[in-house]
Amino acid sequence: MLKLLKIEWLKIKNYNAFIVLVSFFALGVVASNFIVYSTFNNSITKSAGVSMIMAAFNPYSFYNTWQTTSYVAGWILMLPSLLLIILVTNEFTYRTNRQNIIDGWSRNQFTSVKMMMALIAAILSTVLVFITALVFGAASHTDFSFNGISHVGFFFLKALSYNMLAIFMAVLIRRTGFAIAVFFIYMGAENIISQLLDVWSVKLRTQDNLDLGSMGDYLPMGASDGLLTFPKNNLRDIASSAFATNFTWLVLGIALAYLFIFYFFGKRRMLRSDL
Amino acid sequence: MSTVLSIQHVSKSYGPVRALNDVSFDIPSGTVFGILGPNGSGKTTLLGITMDILKADSGSYRLLEEEPTEIQRKQIGTLLETPNFYHYLSAVRNLRIAAAIKGRGHDDIERVLKVVNLWERKDSAFSTFSLGMKQRLAIGAALLGDPEVLMFDEPTNGLDPVGIAEIRELIKKLRLQGKTIIMASHLLDEVEKVCTHVAILKKGHLITHGDVNEILANEDIVELAAADNGLLKKVITQFSGYSNMKEEDGMIRLYFPLGVANLEALNKHCFNGGVILNHLQVKKKSLEAKFFELTN
Repeated sequence: MLKLLKIEWLKIKNYNAFIVLVSFFALGVVASNFIVYSTFNNSITKSAGVSMIMAAFNPYSFYNTWQTTSYVAGWILMLPSLLLIILVTNEFTYRTNRQNIIDGWSRNQFTSVKMMMALIAAILSTVLVFITALVFGAASHTDFSFNGISHVGFFFLKALSYNMLAIFMAVLIRRTGFAIAVFFIYMGAENIISQLLDVWSVKLRTQDNLDLGSMGDYLPMGASDGLLTFPKNNLRDIASSAFATNFTWLVLGIALAYLFIFYFFGKRRMLRSDL
Repeated sequence: MSTVLSIQHVSKSYGPVRALNDVSFDIPSGTVFGILGPNGSGKTTLLGITMDILKADSGSYRLLEEEPTEIQRKQIGTLLETPNFYHYLSAVRNLRIAAAIKGRGHDDIERVLKVVNLWERKDSAFSTFSLGMKQRLAIGAALLGDPEVLMFDEPTNGLDPVGIAEIRELIKKLRLQGKTIIMASHLLDEVEKVCTHVAILKKGHLITHGDVNEILANEDIVELAAADNGLLKKVITQFSGYSNMKEEDGMIRLYFPLGVANLEALNKHCFNGGVILNHLQVKKKSLEAKFFELTN
């Protein structure tokens, strides 16, 4: 696998879109968190009215910083997904997928290395989020704590879900523009469907009337999105949690199941169809 | 003689179109094997299946006398249909990727770029190349690691006359080195000049295959002409041994089974019959004529 990854690296290291999108994402993670960070800081110092309430809640203090950074960075996860769609559909456009296989890769190797790229992109984004959270946490002068680090884990899951959906769409659709369009339309459509299901109150209830949230929270992206929320505080309306903690595990399982579906059908498509 | 590629009952459809219909033949090692056919006859589909980029509906194939996997593909230098490279990378960087996939070192890149006359442009991006240069880079990539078997699909696509001649020379040179070359083409002239064996496809059916001389020269054609072709025709009817006679272009063409035509006897017969020939020649059927005959 290391050999395969080295070859992938040869393909992308001189690719401008790769360099640009990676820089945008890295900057974006830091910048978006900085905006949230400074907004809160400013509101504490400037608007005396809310400052009393705000002072009690700092989204970047430990342990909130893990959750806040993960949540904020989660909004720009489409950048690495976009990059992955471009990288995979490029192979179809240039027909280098054919050439790679002609030259001596198996179809399985070709597919596996793309899936591995999705994993590596998710890991690197997570590392970036971890460092960003650490820096902003340190800047807020609170005592270090690993409490709430699970949110960084949820971020990883969300990143992996986005990336795998991106690979899945790229493998299925093969054309760059079309795949990107479908990816974003799908994201939007799922949000709308999720909202509609909420409006129509399609609620799931177990026998003991435990609220399992809305149907919409179980759609592919919703499942991993729902795990990442803004930290709760006394200004309740700033954020609302999609899920009660007691069924985090259920949603986690569902998000993993979707990941498996993307993996399985993406791979199947690559192994069976004409290239 | 071992078999480089063995194709057994391969069929493939694209929707309602039957691209290949129960095609079977073997390619012996050390040959220059031409796969001929008009556009859309299934040549590229057939080669694509043997490279695992297309899936056959039924049938099987063996590469280098083994069950085909990526291991055999690494040992075959292949150019299929179009030059496929990363547009934003230079010639050298593209070849580094190809070499890495084939499991070869970088030390052969300079050699192949020089063979295909692209060494001066080695650092130019692929996207800046002309059609002919792209084609030459693809041929260079196929030559990486000096493989024993080469598969070229329309190798002279996009090349100028000089480029075509260079590729022909290259193929002849490779043949002298004992390499097996599989070449798909619709350019008959090209195939006729370099191939030792051919397979002819038409609309997915294998029409014939074998040694190029056997396929092309299964008849001797003798052309005759005299001042009075009418009289010549009358005299000829008394001559035996030919299978068919045609009068075309002011000449009479006699079709003899391979190796039977005896020009001396024919000349003597005509002279004795009072006809003096002003033209007498044995012609091999050109591949083009044979091709039209087989595919129409």
